[in-house]
Amino acid sequence: MYSSQVTSTHDPQLLKGVLSLLLLQLLAQRESYGYEIVQRLHEIGLSDISDGTVYPALARLERESRVSARLVSSHSGPARKYYRPTEAGYSTLAEGVTGWLAFVEVVNPVLSQPIPTQPVPPIEED
Amino acid sequence: MTETLNWTDRMRVERAVWTLDTYLQNLPRKSRVAKRRELRVNLLAASADVGTNEALRRLGSLRTLAAEYVVAEYGGPGPFWFAAMCVMLPAFAFMFWVSNARIDAFRSGAIAASPHLTGVYHLTGIAYVFTNATFTFVNGKGTEVNGTLLPLVYVFVVALTVLAGRFWRVIPVLRRRALGLSDG
Repeated sequence: MYSSQVTSTHDPQLLKGVLSLLLLQLLAQRESYGYEIVQRLHEIGLSDISDGTVYPALARLERESRVSARLVSSHSGPARKYYRPTEAGYSTLAEGVTGWLAFVEVVNPVLSQPIPTQPVPPIEED
Repeated sequence: MTETLNWTDRMRVERAVWTLDTYLQNLPRKSRVAKRRELRVNLLAASADVGTNEALRRLGSLRTLAAEYVVAEYGGPGPFWFAAMCVMLPAFAFMFWVSNARIDAFRSGAIAASPHLTGVYHLTGIAYVFTNATFTFVNGKGTEVNGTLLPLVYVFVVALTVLAGRFWRVIPVLRRRALGLSDG
């Protein structure tokens, strides 16, 4: 389902911008509890994302009513808090994905070009 | 890798959970308890999966984590309950001390001037701060009524407390509770 490619470090600022969307998308695919979400992020290649970044992000999404939570009993210990997107979460996700894809469509063609070794001189105006 | 946790692992997890709890003093109690329980569950799962050392390392600084939880809860920095207490308690203690000192000074002065004083005397209050006090002396022994703080003093101290504690930051949380939304 996911690429098993393990990447090196990602720009934390870039990650921060899309973390909410990633969380909403993963939770839309399957209800998960905090550590399970971290594992799933690692599986998709975001191996450098820390647990301490994900848990407050889930708390923020819950405060913003973008996810709801329920306790599910676990055979291996105390009950786990499973999250799933709310109606507001689904609309945020849809809007966010549209925005992100439009952004990538603009940025990608520019950034995927080979990096020039030297800039060309400016075009002189008459 | 899934391993069974021994008691030292569990103690280390508990230590992390309760250390975080001390940093979350600015959160409402219900939310703090919920965060504590959730972190414990996640840490136990992570410890069983990758080992306690790695689980705690991945959590990062507990102080930073707590600060992020507070931002997640209030949408920004939260109120300062400790600062509010540091203002309110000394402010009331000081005002009551001044009030008592004033009463004691009048009584002691009157008895010093006349050790066998008998009669009823009045100590004029201070506008907006203290009420008038009435002293009844019988053979050098006095009792007093009134001479207490006026409501404006209480209003002033409460206003100072609200300012010091930035209590307006609680409003979004109260609003969410009123709407019946989750409290973490």
